[in-house]
Amino acid sequence: MLLLLDILTTAAILFIVSIGLLAIFGVLKIINFAHGAWLTVGAYCAVVTAKLGLNPWLALPLAFVVGAVLGGLAEHFIIRPLYRRPLDAILATWGLGIVVGQLITLAFGRDVQLTPNLFAGTVAFGGVEYSAYRLVALGIALVIGTLFALTIERTRLGLSARAVIMNETLARSLGIDTGRVRLVVFMVGAGLAALAGVLLTPLTSVDPNMGVSWLIGAFMLVMVADASFLALAAACLVFGAAQVLISTFVSPILGSIAVAVLAALVLRVSPKGFSRA
Amino acid sequence: MLETIPAAERAAVAPRSRSRLSRAAPFVAAVLASLALWIAPAFLDTFAVNVLTRSMIYAVLAVTVDLLWGFAGILTFGQAAFFGVGAYAAAMILGAYGATPVGIAAALATAVAAPALLGLVVGWLSFYHRSTPLYASVISLVVPIVVTQLIYSGGEWTGSSSGLVGFDVLPFEIEGYFRLAALVLVAVTLAAWILVQSDAGRALVALKDNEARCAYLGLNPRRLQILLTTALAAVAGLAGFLFANASGVVAPENAGFLFGTELVIWVALGGRGTLLGPVIGTIAIDYLAANLSGDLPFLWQLLLGTAFVAIIILLPGGLADPVGRLWRALPVGRTGQAAPALAAREAGSATSTAEAPILKVQGLAKSYGSLTVLEGIDLEIRAGELVSLVGPNGAGKTTLMRCLSDGTEPFRGAIAIGGTPTTGLTPNRIVGLGVGRKFQVASVFESLSVADCLRLARASHDGLSPLSQAPTLGLPQAALDVLRMTGLDRLLTRPTRLLSHGQKQALELAMVVALEPRLILLDEPTAGLTKAERTTIGSVLKALTAGGRIAAVLVEHDLDFVREISSRIVVLHQGRLVLDGTVDEVVGSELVRTIYSGGAHA
Amino acid sequence: MPEAARRSEPVGAALALDDVSSGYGAISIVKGVTLSVGQGEIVALLGKNGMGKTTLLKTVLGMVALRGGGITIGGQALSGLSPAKLVALGVGYAPQEQPLFQDLSIRDNLRLAVPSDRMLPGALERLFGHFPFLKERLGQRAGTLSGGEQKMLILGRALMLRPRLLLIDEISEGIQPSMVERLRKVLLAERDAGLSMLVVEQHVAFALGLADRYAVLKLGEIVDSGSAKASDARERVIDHLAV
Repeated sequence: MLLLLDILTTAAILFIVSIGLLAIFGVLKIINFAHGAWLTVGAYCAVVTAKLGLNPWLALPLAFVVGAVLGGLAEHFIIRPLYRRPLDAILATWGLGIVVGQLITLAFGRDVQLTPNLFAGTVAFGGVEYSAYRLVALGIALVIGTLFALTIERTRLGLSARAVIMNETLARSLGIDTGRVRLVVFMVGAGLAALAGVLLTPLTSVDPNMGVSWLIGAFMLVMVADASFLALAAACLVFGAAQVLISTFVSPILGSIAVAVLAALVLRVSPKGFSRA
Repeated sequence: MLETIPAAERAAVAPRSRSRLSRAAPFVAAVLASLALWIAPAFLDTFAVNVLTRSMIYAVLAVTVDLLWGFAGILTFGQAAFFGVGAYAAAMILGAYGATPVGIAAALATAVAAPALLGLVVGWLSFYHRSTPLYASVISLVVPIVVTQLIYSGGEWTGSSSGLVGFDVLPFEIEGYFRLAALVLVAVTLAAWILVQSDAGRALVALKDNEARCAYLGLNPRRLQILLTTALAAVAGLAGFLFANASGVVAPENAGFLFGTELVIWVALGGRGTLLGPVIGTIAIDYLAANLSGDLPFLWQLLLGTAFVAIIILLPGGLADPVGRLWRALPVGRTGQAAPALAAREAGSATSTAEAPILKVQGLAKSYGSLTVLEGIDLEIRAGELVSLVGPNGAGKTTLMRCLSDGTEPFRGAIAIGGTPTTGLTPNRIVGLGVGRKFQVASVFESLSVADCLRLARASHDGLSPLSQAPTLGLPQAALDVLRMTGLDRLLTRPTRLLSHGQKQALELAMVVALEPRLILLDEPTAGLTKAERTTIGSVLKALTAGGRIAAVLVEHDLDFVREISSRIVVLHQGRLVLDGTVDEVVGSELVRTIYSGGAHA
Repeated sequence: MPEAARRSEPVGAALALDDVSSGYGAISIVKGVTLSVGQGEIVALLGKNGMGKTTLLKTVLGMVALRGGGITIGGQALSGLSPAKLVALGVGYAPQEQPLFQDLSIRDNLRLAVPSDRMLPGALERLFGHFPFLKERLGQRAGTLSGGEQKMLILGRALMLRPRLLLIDEISEGIQPSMVERLRKVLLAERDAGLSMLVVEQHVAFALGLADRYAVLKLGEIVDSGSAKASDARERVIDHLAV
């Protein structure tokens, strides 16, 4: 039971952390290596909210807005000139991540920040005492996933984004402003990443480099999911399970690299990853 | 054996004496640099000597990153992992056996061999038929992460998170390490310089430029990429060995992904693809960092990050780009590439038995999902034939060409070249069977010169020197004819990207002909050409096949052209072969007229 | 402004190309084409593959850069207009290559073609006027339609915004004769209602049956043109097209 809960909540957290990166990669075909910095920005939004003495949950909308605004600026000034140079875009966004990290360090110092737990305590669930927050995170992942799916499936923005993914030339010839779609998607992706940063605060220590450790896992999951939202959910479950099982039964250190190694092997065998299934 | 061509010869003689001088220049520069660095410790304080020793070791790594990324187009974060493995191997062995001659030799050997072995595995994993550059970068990210975690979990062996310290090292003072690092850096840079200036170096650039064309010249891109990864992993391991000795401490960060990204940043700022840019960039940045980061650590990182983003967006060539432009504007810097002398090479004595067909297609069928593109294609083509493949849009012509030249395309039925079935063979192996393919959009190497493109076309026959540029360029007579008729023989040193569209088409044809194929496949060779250029290409093709040793298949829409040159016309319609006959039989056939008026439906 | 332009009586030709050249990179495809389509006229542009027909359409649509000459639509010069502006100007386009989002529903395909969801009901009504069978199948994936049905969807999508000028790329390609006939009827009805069309075709019989005038494009240049109703039109065109 404990193992099952661990697997489900680990998958949920991976999903929350990866979804913003997936949105951007899917539509823009750009790998946003500033994703880690966006997570950090979100976490510091939680720090600021706490310092202001506000309800810690208010950090969520704040982070989304801050992430989206910064994302909009980044798309305009950094990503836009690099659409034709996708490998360079990886580097430029990585550089942006360094800049953001250092700005945060200058503003807040390099020490670990304390944030109030969004949802403290444990609950009895199926015979075991389990961290209440991890269960809440599972619920939040489901909510984010559902909202994301509804946006993609039901709204005009989602439809335009899918059109750009499938066939950008056709989308443009039908009169869709593909530049605007890219901008908005980047803003949403960055906003979701910042949101994820807030949600990570009860699980991990907050410091200026916290995002980097999550970046690679998220990146590998997105590569395996190849822009498909459902494939991402599947990948999070499978690799999350692998990570928990290897950590429990073999070694926590091997567990921590399970996602990256397994994803690399899956891609070697099937370049489209999970999206083909 | 070699019949030299006087005109081209004369053109090439003049710059040759000068080129001998410029060939010596790198060695002179290397000796001068070594001397300067040898006496440098006398003028530097201990802190500077220490820091610069480390900087120069990092610069060795930067050279390897530049070869991979700047030249071969493989963006890698993985050199840090190989460096770390080398450093740890050295530290562990020196720690266990001490700095005895045997211990040092074993440490050095392992520090080079272990990363090379890992490099071989990583190369095999990263590069396979249809792998993407992005995938190689992904793997290069994973490798340092895995290595770091293994170091963490290595317990007493690796010292876990605190690393290894206190192992025996080489018996040098700090000046000695400085000089050793300097000599290694100069040697590695010189070797890299010679490699990239050599013919084999052009193959690296060609790989980055146009991997598909490399494969269709019979080169094996995978093998080259794996070889390069392995060799440069070994060099990184050597740098790791030096680092372990010079610093006396190794830590997990030395193998980490973050260090891998730093290497890329240094190379980018210095100027990828220039070798000297990354070397100077790395030393300057690392030295500045050591001096500045004590006082203003975060501001320094901020500046570096900002500069990196700005350089990537605005100046992709790095700081070496404006410097290089300035240099070329000076009279000294304006040394042109010497044109190699063209020479005719006797065609290989491929005894083509006239009775056996060069190409035999039986029951070929191909479908994409439920859509059938080709069905029941039977075709035999013999030496000396010039077969035009015609048919309305969507008839399956291009698909047929693709199946003929790439055995990994999923198709049913059988294709045999000279009796060898091609099913499952990658394009480079089919080229090895004697097939040359010219693409619809001229596929040449945009960043190389005309001569280099032709040299690469001969690489599968003649090999490529990793040490120098051959002074002559031996080509089969037919390829020389193509060059002569199109005037390309006078443009050998011209960068391909400056050629006109027609010249590029002609160059690609010459490259394909230089392969000495038995079967040439041409996809719309005249698309976008002027009338005169079409005529030239037509006569070249006729002359080629007239010898009775070569066959050609072309897809073509210009019907005057088809009528003029074909010995046989094959009509495809809706994926089926509906007509196969002489020009007279097909031209004016009522069936063909019906097909083209849109009336016929399968 | 576009609204007003649409209501006022048009001036001059629906589409006029004056010495137009264009291409990709180092390759020039269209070389000095002069061609006009009058109000309520159908002009068929014939030619084999790779002769520049589609590139010519894409040049009009601003998807391929104009290198020389000028293009006017209803007297208004086109330069640097975005595809969205062209839609607003009343230019419809039925593309040949990858013309539909195969994995999206028919409704979503149509939704993407209207500037806002508000305009969708009216547009759908016009679409069903031409092709009633689509009404029952809005929820179906576009990729599940047969080849001929897809062509009808492509044409219907271009017509539903009430364009004044329609650019059609090989609408008859690969479909059954009965379907071709159905498309012809729809297009002729639209022509009679005043729509002007430039129709790129390889299907000679269909093109000449539909068009008022024809032009043959060869290696980027117009090598023949005339009335589509002339008795020797078919023979002349096929001579340019067949082997």
